[in-house]
Amino acid sequence: MDEVSGTRLSPGKAPRSLVQWRRRVKSEYMRLRQLKRFRKAEEVKALFLSNRRKIEGRTELLNKEWSKLRIQTIPLTTPSGSLAGKKCTVEFGFPSFPNQAVAMRPLTTVAGIPFMYSWSPLQQNFMVEDETFLHNIPYMGDEVLEQDEAFLEELIDNYDGVHGDREGGFISDEIFKELVEALSQYSDNEEEDEETTEEEEERALRRSRKRKRKSPSDKIFSAIASMFPYKGTMEELKEKYKDLLEPPSEAKLPPLCTPNMDGPFAKSVQREQSLHSFHTLFCRRCFKYDCFLHPFHASPNVYKRKSKEIRMETEPCGLDCFLLQKGAKEFADQYMLRSPRSRRRRRQPRPCSSTGPTPSGSVEERKDGDSDHETTSSSECNSRCPTPTKLRQGEELLGQGGAPQQWSGADESLFRVLHGTYYNNFCSIARLIGTKTCKQVYEFAVKEVLIHRVPLEDGGISPQKKKRKHSLLFCYVYIVILFTIVVLDNSSNQVYNYQPCDHPEHPCDSSCPCVMTQNFCEKFCQCDQECQNRFPGCRCKTQCNTKQCPCYLAVRECDPDLCLTCGASDRWDNKQVSCKNCSIQRGLKKHLLLAPSDVAGWGTFIKEPVQKNEFISEYCGELISQDEADRRGRIYDKYMSSFLFNLNNDFVVDATRKGNKIRFANHSVNPNCYAKVVMVNGDHRIGIFAKRAIQQGEELFFDYRYSQADALKYVGIEREIDVV
Amino acid sequence: MAPQKYTGQVMSSASNCKANGTVYPTSAAVAVNTAKKPKMEQIQADHELFLQAFEKPTQIYRFLRTRNLIAPILLHRSLTFMSHRNSRSNANRKIFKVDDMLAKVEQMKGEQESHSLSSHMQLTFTGFFHKTDKPCQNSENGQNSVSLEVLLVKVCHKKRKDVSCPIKQVPTGKKQVPLNPDVSQAKPGAFPSLLVSSTEFEPSNSHMVKSYSLLFRVTRPGKRDPNGFITGETDENIADVKEELASRKKRSTSHRDDGDATETFVAQMTVFDKNRRLQLLDGEYEVSMQQIEDCPVSKKRATWETILDGKRLPPFETFSQGPTLQFTLRWTGDASDPSTAPVAKPLSTRNSDASVPESRPATLRSAPMAVKDTVTNTSSSTGVQTRREQSVCEPRQKLRIFYQFLYNNNTRQQTEARDDLHCPWCTLNCRKLYSLLKHLKLSHSRFIFNYVPHPKGARIDVSINECYDGSYVGNPQDIHSQPGFAFSRNGPVKRTAVTHILVCRPKRTKPSLSEFLESEDGEPEQQRTYVSGHNRLYFHSDSCMPLRPQEMDVDSEDERDPEWLREKTATQIEEFTDVNEGEKEVMKLWNLHVMKHGFIADNQMSQAVMLFVENCGPHITRRNLCRNFLLHLVSMHDFNLVTTATIDRAMVRLREIQAELPELEEGQDGVGGACNGHAVSSGFSLHGKRTKSAVTD
Repeated sequence: MDEVSGTRLSPGKAPRSLVQWRRRVKSEYMRLRQLKRFRKAEEVKALFLSNRRKIEGRTELLNKEWSKLRIQTIPLTTPSGSLAGKKCTVEFGFPSFPNQAVAMRPLTTVAGIPFMYSWSPLQQNFMVEDETFLHNIPYMGDEVLEQDEAFLEELIDNYDGVHGDREGGFISDEIFKELVEALSQYSDNEEEDEETTEEEEERALRRSRKRKRKSPSDKIFSAIASMFPYKGTMEELKEKYKDLLEPPSEAKLPPLCTPNMDGPFAKSVQREQSLHSFHTLFCRRCFKYDCFLHPFHASPNVYKRKSKEIRMETEPCGLDCFLLQKGAKEFADQYMLRSPRSRRRRRQPRPCSSTGPTPSGSVEERKDGDSDHETTSSSECNSRCPTPTKLRQGEELLGQGGAPQQWSGADESLFRVLHGTYYNNFCSIARLIGTKTCKQVYEFAVKEVLIHRVPLEDGGISPQKKKRKHSLLFCYVYIVILFTIVVLDNSSNQVYNYQPCDHPEHPCDSSCPCVMTQNFCEKFCQCDQECQNRFPGCRCKTQCNTKQCPCYLAVRECDPDLCLTCGASDRWDNKQVSCKNCSIQRGLKKHLLLAPSDVAGWGTFIKEPVQKNEFISEYCGELISQDEADRRGRIYDKYMSSFLFNLNNDFVVDATRKGNKIRFANHSVNPNCYAKVVMVNGDHRIGIFAKRAIQQGEELFFDYRYSQADALKYVGIEREIDVV
Repeated sequence: MAPQKYTGQVMSSASNCKANGTVYPTSAAVAVNTAKKPKMEQIQADHELFLQAFEKPTQIYRFLRTRNLIAPILLHRSLTFMSHRNSRSNANRKIFKVDDMLAKVEQMKGEQESHSLSSHMQLTFTGFFHKTDKPCQNSENGQNSVSLEVLLVKVCHKKRKDVSCPIKQVPTGKKQVPLNPDVSQAKPGAFPSLLVSSTEFEPSNSHMVKSYSLLFRVTRPGKRDPNGFITGETDENIADVKEELASRKKRSTSHRDDGDATETFVAQMTVFDKNRRLQLLDGEYEVSMQQIEDCPVSKKRATWETILDGKRLPPFETFSQGPTLQFTLRWTGDASDPSTAPVAKPLSTRNSDASVPESRPATLRSAPMAVKDTVTNTSSSTGVQTRREQSVCEPRQKLRIFYQFLYNNNTRQQTEARDDLHCPWCTLNCRKLYSLLKHLKLSHSRFIFNYVPHPKGARIDVSINECYDGSYVGNPQDIHSQPGFAFSRNGPVKRTAVTHILVCRPKRTKPSLSEFLESEDGEPEQQRTYVSGHNRLYFHSDSCMPLRPQEMDVDSEDERDPEWLREKTATQIEEFTDVNEGEKEVMKLWNLHVMKHGFIADNQMSQAVMLFVENCGPHITRRNLCRNFLLHLVSMHDFNLVTTATIDRAMVRLREIQAELPELEEGQDGVGGACNGHAVSSGFSLHGKRTKSAVTD
């Protein structure tokens, strides 16, 4: 086929057919574009209609709800005054039509409200990446002044580009595919034209058959390539088309993806692989997967076990318990005693649930365990090669195992996962697996010991990932060191963002990023519990709202896992907490109301009266880097409205797009509120507190420029004033 | 600029201040120093400044006064400091019984019947009071009675030929009436009385009588009062004097008096009006008399004003000053019935009992009457005015209130004086100095009032309140949903209640004038709005729609997990290419769970896991995600957040839930499983955007 079309493109014929083809490409392309536009319009229409329906449904629901409440409605005033008797008449020029009149019903004027850009509600900060592409050119009003033009040019220079710039005549993959398909009809026709004519139906039949069989001719691709030169050469386009044609099902699974454990295609994989997604995506600080706030998630295998909670079950779980088998108990015990202790902290991962250590090895391990830096990880399994003794033992056990049981891939994977946690508590493992008895599990375990002599049998992916983590970590450390220099240069009252430190072999000394940034080590750090740089928490029995409380003094909120006496660690469902220093984390904000301000634009008003120093609300928004804040700030300054709030040296909170009601609080030099950046469980957060007793219904103000800690700096308009 | 039109006595400023009997411009501190020849421009400029400061608020209060008369928002008598205005007591309520109502109505009916049977109108004259004459003086002159002539005037229907309505006057009698009698000493029987037969009121034959009225003519021999005191026309609606139920005095006909020596006073009262309604019921009457000598007021020019010296007078001023005739009227069936009318006490007017409630009429009569020697109407009469007080020595005289207006940064002042306790802005009679001050302070907060004791009464310093908070304090709903609704004049309206009703019984300090004294520190008392709270309309932050009162209590926009965020977390997880369907599903469920409950502590995690099983267990079972859930638990354990015990408990609970819905499991297992399995292949091509490795990079 290729050759055939190749010959067709001979120099003699080329100009005419190419021109023809180009015309075809153009018309087809236009047709497809139009079709697409039309389809999009239809989609929008359908969406709009479904939205309407949704709104109607909701309103009805709300109205129903409210009709249940017995509230006296405002009576409609009957039209009175000069307009009462007026009628609006339509007269017809034709005599046969009577005049029509309708009573005029004047609508009452509704007071206008200030201008507001739309924004999304949020109760916690939300980290976003830097936008190196300008998404839209800011609207400055209908008359773009000269200076604004200059400003826009300057603005665009700050960015790598403007979104949508390159998409003018761009054809997406989808359109490309459709275009080729549409054009291939022509080629069919052409062939047929050149060949002998056939019956219409037959031709159609053949065409459909043909389309399945052969790929479109090169003419099409060359025509497309000449029409859209930036899409690549003819060969590239052809390759691309082939790629696109490939059925999406096959080979679509990325190599790193583990099959669904509950699905029919579950494979027998290593523990690390089964848990890989959960481990990498879980944020230990937010308790969420792929959280909105922390871009770096430490993997769990660097966390150490607090207590040796794993105990060997000594009582058989039933008559058929594996413990009743000969030698089983000894096997388990031996395994049990050593394996948890033998876990040593290593960055290099190994396939889990493999073997126990040799007796001699275990002695060594024990020594290791006694040393200071030993951090054990339950998930990590010792991958040391089993000793011959072990092997022999296993063979012996296997011999006694009896009939081999059918183990599915999912079961096997699950066993490995659980074995990493439960070790040789086969009864528990069996209970959790559910489909196997402990005897079967035990037998399988013995088999596993035998099989996995070679550590990295099929876990080739894991190390790769790990390596990536390594490099990431090093990168991170590098960054930290870089800005440490900056730290030393600057004055000491700078506040830096906290990142959990992770330096396995060293204690937290002057090289620890936490120490360098003058942050305490938190429970998220990989360092030892007894680390000198850890904040101990408070032992207050009072409200933690004076400098008597070490947490309050350090401008930290009480840590619910450290401060166990002040009340920060209990009464989760109660708003009345004895500790007054945990309001931000618990979101114990005051009910705020929105109304046109007495000063400018919108304002925030408080519903209930508050005492002095009481927490009012957290200032939430997008967490952006200082660079991004600089870029955004330029636009905001132009708009004369800025919601930027310096959080620390690394980040700025921007409430422009996302935020909560406190964003409407206005600036005042004589405010009734103040802002304070507080360290809340490892995150800096902005709390707005009452500067004096505030009565209900009062408008809230705070000084945008200064916080109590003097760490806040208003990035917007006011900064320029400061400079001047 | 015609401030006096609006502001009456108060606003008559330096340029046009005139004596009007009650208001005395005493001094204008700045203006006075130019006693020789006041420069016109200076005065003009000063006047301008004065107007600038006081005109606008005064106009506002004038307007509010009128509105309050038409559609009262509050009744002054129900204010605690105005309790003396409340004449009604609730004592009757205690003895009220429903059964008595019928008896009461019957009784009233009977009265009416007897009323119609009466055939005589009996007039018993208590006396003629003229305050310029003291009783002692009269006794010296031997002039303690005046002659009174009562005429029944019948105004007939106009016939075609008549130019004006024919009037018939029927004399009914002449009597000598005591002049300024001491009522407390007089005996009831001693008063002269007259009888008018009811037949007089029958329609006469020649003319159809339109209305009947009584004309009193008092002739008093003697000289004219040297003061030249002139009572103008009193054509006054005195409906709210209690004892006069519905009396209406007709315009007095004016006649020229013939003699110099005698003074004639006349008054006319309608007995039956043109609709033949009886206007004079049984009761005590006090009729204001008019000297007819110098009142060539034609009927057409008559206005509803009380004019004294060419200036307007408050309505009831005449009753405390002008000549009045008091009599008792009774309709009796028997002419020979001796008069059993109660002693007709002189009626007390509102003014007279203002400061001295128990003052006897005698003292009232002798209250100082300011008399002008020269009543000048020129605008430059600032410093020239003098006044003479006849009896300064009287200790129980009327209180005089000096209003001192401070303006132009409190450097200028103008003083006005009044000798009643009416509020200058809304003419409300406060009757007590304390009430007046309280009223001024509370109702006219655009001004600051400071009370300064004064030997002759009181001085009130009036200045503009710079800190006046004019913000709306009503129901915010009214502003937005119904503009102007808050001030609807179609009578009272029910409003949507926003505030809770608080019953507050504050400890009231004993009323004392000292609370109005200027505070010591010079700092004007903190002008906080009396109403704090939600005096504005709030809006939803998401939709900018007005917040309705029923939505006030719940903060609808404070969700920890707003919908967009829930959606966002789901899409974000869905975007991963190297995470399988089962994992995604569990992760999404867990994320939503955490977002909903906002867990913040490690030690909450076991609790969170158990709650998760409770809430999402059925879903997990139905979607066949148990193993993935177990992986999640193990992962949590790896992160040191839960113990193996929690894993065990959670799984046991999940198994229980699984067992509880067996039929569902049967039905959906295949579907769920299939969905899970096949979604792996189909789902990725759609959302192939992110990988978890990319996340960690």
